[in-house]
Amino acid sequence: MTALHDVALVVATVTLVYFTALNLVYLAFTGVAWRSLNRHLRARGHAPDEEVFSSPVTPPVSVLVPAYDEEPTIVDSVHSLLALRYPEHEVIVVNDGSRDRTLERLRDAFDLVPVRKALRVVVPTAPIRGVYVSRRHRHLWVVDKENGGKADALNAGVNASRYPYVLAIDADAILEEDSLLRVVRPVVAEPDVVVATGGIVRIANGCRVDRGRVVDVRLPKSRLATLQVLEYFRAFLIGRVGWSRMNALLIVSGAFGLFRRSLVEEVGGYSSDTVGEDIELVVRLHRHLRERDEPYRIEFVPDPVCWTEAPETFRQLSRQRRRWHRGLGETLWRHRRLAANGRYGALGTAAVPYFLFFEFLGPLVEVLGLPAILVWWLLGDLSGVFVAAFLVVAMLLGVVLSLAALTLEEHSFRRHRDGRDVVRLIGFSVVENVGYRQIVSFWRFLAFFDLVRRRGDWGEMRRKGFTTVAEAPLPR
Amino acid sequence: MLEALGIAALTLAALSAGFLIALVARRGALAREERRRSELEARLRPLALALVAGDDVELPELEADERAMLAEAIGRLSRRVTGDARRRVAAYFAGTTPFDAELRALRDRRAWRRATAAYRLGDMACGDATPALLDALADSDADVRAAAARSLGRLGAGEASGALVEALVASSVPRAIAFRAILDVGPDALRDVRRLAADPDPALRAAAVELLGWLGDASDDALLIDAVDDPSAEVRARAAAALGRLASADGAEALTRALDDRVYFVRLHAARALGHVGERDAVPRLLRQAREDRFESARAAADAVARVDPDALLEAAASSDAGPHLHEAADLLRV
Repeated sequence: MTALHDVALVVATVTLVYFTALNLVYLAFTGVAWRSLNRHLRARGHAPDEEVFSSPVTPPVSVLVPAYDEEPTIVDSVHSLLALRYPEHEVIVVNDGSRDRTLERLRDAFDLVPVRKALRVVVPTAPIRGVYVSRRHRHLWVVDKENGGKADALNAGVNASRYPYVLAIDADAILEEDSLLRVVRPVVAEPDVVVATGGIVRIANGCRVDRGRVVDVRLPKSRLATLQVLEYFRAFLIGRVGWSRMNALLIVSGAFGLFRRSLVEEVGGYSSDTVGEDIELVVRLHRHLRERDEPYRIEFVPDPVCWTEAPETFRQLSRQRRRWHRGLGETLWRHRRLAANGRYGALGTAAVPYFLFFEFLGPLVEVLGLPAILVWWLLGDLSGVFVAAFLVVAMLLGVVLSLAALTLEEHSFRRHRDGRDVVRLIGFSVVENVGYRQIVSFWRFLAFFDLVRRRGDWGEMRRKGFTTVAEAPLPR
Repeated sequence: MLEALGIAALTLAALSAGFLIALVARRGALAREERRRSELEARLRPLALALVAGDDVELPELEADERAMLAEAIGRLSRRVTGDARRRVAAYFAGTTPFDAELRALRDRRAWRRATAAYRLGDMACGDATPALLDALADSDADVRAAAARSLGRLGAGEASGALVEALVASSVPRAIAFRAILDVGPDALRDVRRLAADPDPALRAAAVELLGWLGDASDDALLIDAVDDPSAEVRARAAAALGRLASADGAEALTRALDDRVYFVRLHAARALGHVGERDAVPRLLRQAREDRFESARAAADAVARVDPDALLEAAASSDAGPHLHEAADLLRV
């Protein structure tokens, strides 16, 4: 009984300390994000997109789209990419051995013909079966290859790209017309320093899409997807803005990230032996440049938007979160020498320790901590009032952080114009703390077992496709 | 401990309420502001258009917010007009209270206010703002410097071109903005740019040579041809690109020579430039580069042949030693 008492005491104390520290960090980041976004919004007022569009020094960009069984959405996505307002860009779809009709859909929609394209062999990939170019859009290429995973497909795209910057995006993503202009802006401003940038990812479920463009921003009908809208606000508007400010951004989303191609080649391309190829590449770039003492920046830009389809079932969402968590764990392990290492600046002293203790080990504390507190209470060492008060504080912290993110969104970009959507999001800021967050923590906890078993996959998700104008109900 | 939790709960509840109030208030304020602005803009835009177009209109009595909106509308229009229309914008603002207020704001302690003022002064089109904007190019804040550079470009301030090229090279202003500003200044910047093309600093020479490709004319050919033999590879590459942009037939010989440069990116730019110039005599040398050189410069050579002599490309691509770049260029030609 004494041993149980001691264990419960230790776990519960760790939980309390962890919880307090985590939320203090979040609150501090909220303040930093508020300042950064204000500065960004003011600067945007006198830096029109037109300037980047008409500048002779704006670099051409290769847009890489790895596609695996993306038949329902691939044509819409490619249409949106071809319609990007940008002086010079090419779109390279890499069909990674899809089992469905992805390639046929592309061939029919864009009139593809085979060409003998010169491919670099800087990063090795699975065998290439053929390369096609569109007769209608000469800057659309399709690389057809044997299945090798997402990282391998991206590497094939890097090898096929013509331009000095590559933009990696998910095949189910839709970029807004000016997104590329905006995500490139830091590179245009400081081409010798900025090596990678990422934009914001928003959830397209519920939005109306017309020919590859989001024409009406709505909340998803699915409650599960709506809860993710709030999560994305927190992750992007608070987390990434804050880390970017410290030049310690660990994640440039695989759904929407721009990289200097020569540097990606220099570090060996995307790593095929992790499911977190996006975070791993960014950490490797940081490490490579810090070890060479080269001045560089990896920036998050909050206004270019990439719309993506979020999972709407528990099964899909759990797979996604377990995969993300496993990717984080693999990356932290591979680059463990960065942790608490002053040589790597804020990356080593702040970002990696934060991601290790709060993001990676967090689910352990969250999943084990609550039962420990209950055991402590059952043993009579904690009063019921204390436990109740702790749970209330925990929930209120969650509410505050979600409301802060929502307020930031309203203050800055205000994409949800319908007041009812905002009311719904306020409601979900409260509801998500009872059940949803705990379930997500549990899924992330399960990722520890995946890590031990080294289970990995492409992150398959059954696509519904976007709600097109013709299919959508008329606005009330 | 329980007491601490109680205090924390109360604080968090107050914070939640605070965020909720801020959210609702902000949404309401923005909605009102949007309505008011769209109403004012709809009413004042025709007046702004008439003033910029030089129509004979009488300025009505306006409230302070209406005057501000009219100034903003005229400022926005000034970004799209040139010549007499832009002179009318300058005449509208010259010596007015808003113009003086923006000049004063360049000395504001808040950086964002200085940046906004620097930007607005460009919209106001008054050359009188040039000295103050030149000072602002040395501001401690990057946004202020960038806004000042933009405005100097929009004002067509020829006397600022030297400072803008120096800002470009020193990276005190983002490259794209400084570059754009110098192009906006136009031919008035040429005297300074040509002078800098002979500067001892290779970085300044490279920037000047690149700018000559955009701003220069046939009289710059000799200077650029000399620059193709510059000791700095960066200068040689940019000179080659500039000759291509100017489609300088006189530069063809120097460009063909540059295909033998020891630095691959000079060969790359020379090949591209020969494609623009349309130099058929360089085709055999370009075909060799397309077969044998590094990836990027070989690709540039194959593309150049496709532009200059498609038949030669198709013939070369049919041979057994054509290589991937000639194959690709030939296939694209057939598509």
